[in-house]
Amino acid sequence: MKEIEKLFDRIVQRVNINLRELEYDVNPYVNKLIPFNQMVKFYGFYGVSPHHPLSFEFKNSNLAGSYFLGRCRVSNSLLYKSDIRGDELKKEKDLFQYQDFEIPVVDDEEIHIEDSFLIKTLVHNFSHDPETLERFFIKDTISMNYANIHGAPSDGCFLGVFSTVDLTTMRDCVIGNFSYVQAGEINHLHIPPGTVWVRNPGEFNFYYQYPENMLNDYVFLPAGSPPQGMLIDFVEDRKEAFQRIFDVVNIEQSVDVPSSASLDRYSVTKGHTTIGENVLVAQRAYLQNAWLGKGANVQENCFIINSRLEGNDVTAHGAKIIEADVGTMVFVGFNSFLRGRPDSRIVIGEDSIVMPHTIIDVKEPLTIPPGHLVWGLIQDETDLATNSISIERLKTIDSKLTVGNMFFEGNGAGFVAAFQERIHHILDANGAFFNGAEHKGHAQKNQFISFNTIQPYPEGNKKGMFPTIVIQP
Amino acid sequence: MNSIVKDFMVPLSDYATISKGSTLYEAVLALENIKKDKNVDQSVHPHWIVLVLDKNQEVIGKMSQLNVVRALEPITEQTEIVDRISNFGFSANFIGAIREESFQNGNARDYVYTDPTKMEMKVEDFMETLVENEFIDENTSLNSAAHQLTVRNRLSLLVTREDKVVGVLRLSDVFTALITAMKKAH
Repeated sequence: MKEIEKLFDRIVQRVNINLRELEYDVNPYVNKLIPFNQMVKFYGFYGVSPHHPLSFEFKNSNLAGSYFLGRCRVSNSLLYKSDIRGDELKKEKDLFQYQDFEIPVVDDEEIHIEDSFLIKTLVHNFSHDPETLERFFIKDTISMNYANIHGAPSDGCFLGVFSTVDLTTMRDCVIGNFSYVQAGEINHLHIPPGTVWVRNPGEFNFYYQYPENMLNDYVFLPAGSPPQGMLIDFVEDRKEAFQRIFDVVNIEQSVDVPSSASLDRYSVTKGHTTIGENVLVAQRAYLQNAWLGKGANVQENCFIINSRLEGNDVTAHGAKIIEADVGTMVFVGFNSFLRGRPDSRIVIGEDSIVMPHTIIDVKEPLTIPPGHLVWGLIQDETDLATNSISIERLKTIDSKLTVGNMFFEGNGAGFVAAFQERIHHILDANGAFFNGAEHKGHAQKNQFISFNTIQPYPEGNKKGMFPTIVIQP
Repeated sequence: MNSIVKDFMVPLSDYATISKGSTLYEAVLALENIKKDKNVDQSVHPHWIVLVLDKNQEVIGKMSQLNVVRALEPITEQTEIVDRISNFGFSANFIGAIREESFQNGNARDYVYTDPTKMEMKVEDFMETLVENEFIDENTSLNSAAHQLTVRNRLSLLVTREDKVVGVLRLSDVFTALITAMKKAH
């Protein structure tokens, strides 16, 4: 197993070199976190379908439990139970709109992962960097459990547990646990844990900071120990349910799935679950007594438990909805954790936006009125009052707004429009608007994917390393 | 200007100094006392800075009036967040307005600038530590020193003799020399 250990040391050194200006040492957070014998146990797998490009190259890497779709090149990297989804990459001759520029894409885009260690991380979407349209790179980067690298090229970065970087190119940055960043481009920044930052320069800037002591109850990464907190416990408690679906080659679906919908064979379905038309359920999603109305989607690492989504709802990567009733056209952002109780349910009115990385954890019933934007940590009605605003009111803000730990500068209407456009795009891409002939999306295209497995060397110095593999159509 | 730096520097012995470990209040008194010292020439430019010395009498930091005022201001969870968000792309106007709101809403307003706890802070906790471009050799020409002040964007430089700080060259003293030189040339 010497090769895999050498590779680990090499990646850690390269990341630390990139982060030297921030005086950040990743060693205490990654050393011995994933035992190497764990990284040799699992197979990697890739999807084959007529609707997706197929081009993979794996070299000098460990790919234990990781899933690949589309076009991807991995070298000198450790990918542990990560999802590399290249089904939204740009294609040759596409035109990329950036400010006033329409930039032609000269080649099919590819995800390039080099000298990186990704743990239970989702990589999805496409590079939004106008300087690197054909290559969505992730280089000299370590990302921790349940991080999302979403349309966000990365060079020399460390992403904490449950962090998300979205549509942002990052260089030499540390992204704190449970932080969400969507800021276009960031360099040499150390983002504290629990930061929610959405910025479009010249248009708007939204910033929220979780109270550190309260966040630590949910997500905490102490030096020298595995991640801790209620969010980790929640996911770990349901880990067993995924064991069987990864062990069995041919698996029968336990619920009826309409012909326009897609339930990934690597998702878990339990209890009385209903799948509506145009619904997309991605791999590693967990449904238990879930009712999913037409056009709803449940993305990777999402959990829907004892809840009802009325339709055209977006449950973004890593979001969890427990004991809740969600109206139509509700967006629940990345890694949000909405936990009601059987006798204290959460009701979310239609057309509401739950900001990425929101925690709603209530012991009394809580109702979010229709058309509201909510953010941050909400444990009762009092918190809701300081962590929400009606979307109509937000649209009238034209300079600044501060509420509690939330700071907003810029044009509220622009902020709302950007979110609403994004929600519409996500629903469209996921096939929510499919009418039987037009507007096909992932829900329709992902129904017939074959999965092939790939395996590492079982013994010797190269134990755990995968041989060089090139897969082409 | 044919002079050299040591002709125009203020010797360390004429400067307000204080030992590491002293309190903020003691530092302020040191500054006040140097202004009252009849042996120190106050006629041209008064002293506004206290130098902090270690146990070997080496200069390890300095403390301006601005450092003192800043140190006396209340620090709350809110002010820390405001400090933090200034790195996150907000405009100067926005940060200024939020700071003002945070300051006005602070529950320690009654004690602001006279908080007994703050006055007991150790000088090393709020002094400015010395940086590399802060020093100039005592034999440097005054022309070169004037140029160094402009390119380094500094109001004063610490004057060294064989790596030991022996005085302070202030922009105000250099400027006085400059006026004299200009009058002569006119």
